[in-house]
Amino acid sequence: MNRRDFLKWAITGFGVVSFGGIFYPVVKFLKPPPAVAGALGQATNVGALSTFTAGKLTAVSVNGQPAAVANVGGTYTAFSLVCTHLGCVVGVNGDALLCPCHGSRFSSTGAVTHGPATLPLPTYKTSIQNGSLLVGAIDLTKASYPTWYKGQFNGSA
Amino acid sequence: MDLPDSPPVDVLDAKHPQERGKRGWLVKRFGLSSVMEDQFNRVVPRHATNYIYCFGGIALVLFLILAITGIMLAIYYQPTPDDAYQSIVNLTTHVQFGWWIRSIHKWAAGGMVLLVFAHMLRVFFTGAYKAPRELNWITGVLLLVLTLGFGFTGYLLPWDQKAYWATKVGTDIAGSVPFIGHFLLVSLRGGDQISAATLARFYDLHILVLPAIIVALLGGHFWMIRRHGISGRL
Repeated sequence: MNRRDFLKWAITGFGVVSFGGIFYPVVKFLKPPPAVAGALGQATNVGALSTFTAGKLTAVSVNGQPAAVANVGGTYTAFSLVCTHLGCVVGVNGDALLCPCHGSRFSSTGAVTHGPATLPLPTYKTSIQNGSLLVGAIDLTKASYPTWYKGQFNGSA
Repeated sequence: MDLPDSPPVDVLDAKHPQERGKRGWLVKRFGLSSVMEDQFNRVVPRHATNYIYCFGGIALVLFLILAITGIMLAIYYQPTPDDAYQSIVNLTTHVQFGWWIRSIHKWAAGGMVLLVFAHMLRVFFTGAYKAPRELNWITGVLLLVLTLGFGFTGYLLPWDQKAYWATKVGTDIAGSVPFIGHFLLVSLRGGDQISAATLARFYDLHILVLPAIIVALLGGHFWMIRRHGISGRL
């Protein structure tokens, strides 16, 4: 192979690699993501049902927001872990919920058991599909949540 | 760039027998040789073979990158107060290479402002705005303003706190213009407050109005450069 041919191949190769390097991400970008994680009202798969131990609370992430799944005798409830008092993330410890900021406590269904919070943690709509728990839109109608609190769930409501 | 009166297929090769078979399909059929010679065979003066003379060209490349990545971002962006922020979070965290396209758009935008400004300084300090190029300087100033307009309108679109307050301050400044200030403010905001109407207006400006104007002005800018040639040395 002479110098001219080598350069021809090198330039062609570089061109193909460059084109592919741009083309590949563009095609990938155009393909919609498999599960648009709750972004626009679509459901998020938070895991197989077997991962949620009965009688315990399991922390999950829904659309980037902290949430917990409660398994009470095969009934699955998902609720937000954003404290209704001032928006801290409520901590999960077994079946207890304690907000580290100001000491609010919640029952394993999200109801307030100890102040300063006054409103229950809002629940998500859930469904079961192929043995996995799907978490959908949040239900902010059960109490009169303040605007700043609702704002955290924009796009997933 | 005069097109030949008649560019029939065979005549072109007959005229230049040494070129037979060497020219491309479209070139032969449309008699593009003379057009291409006119456009691509240009001697760049020695004093202009310099990096500081490249600022305008780089700004154009950045504009093209912004146009392409902008069209791509518009696929996933939702211009409503409820969905705007979440659609960008979704784009950045879930769409494959979404973060990449968005980053390119963001950095090219900042770079374009920088390069347009640098280009203006080059033109100013080399005296390239002087006769007969006054109108090109004026279109250039308008292009700078449009570039900043793109930046201002694009800044609101993520619909986060920074976007909201930057737009609040920016439109307040427009509101301080004597006599027509209030008109400018409500025209930009679509009301007295920043609302869904503001987002719709800024999105419309960002992806429809400003691109249409900038493309027209760029056409004029480049046509004038071709007409005048590169300005003489200092």
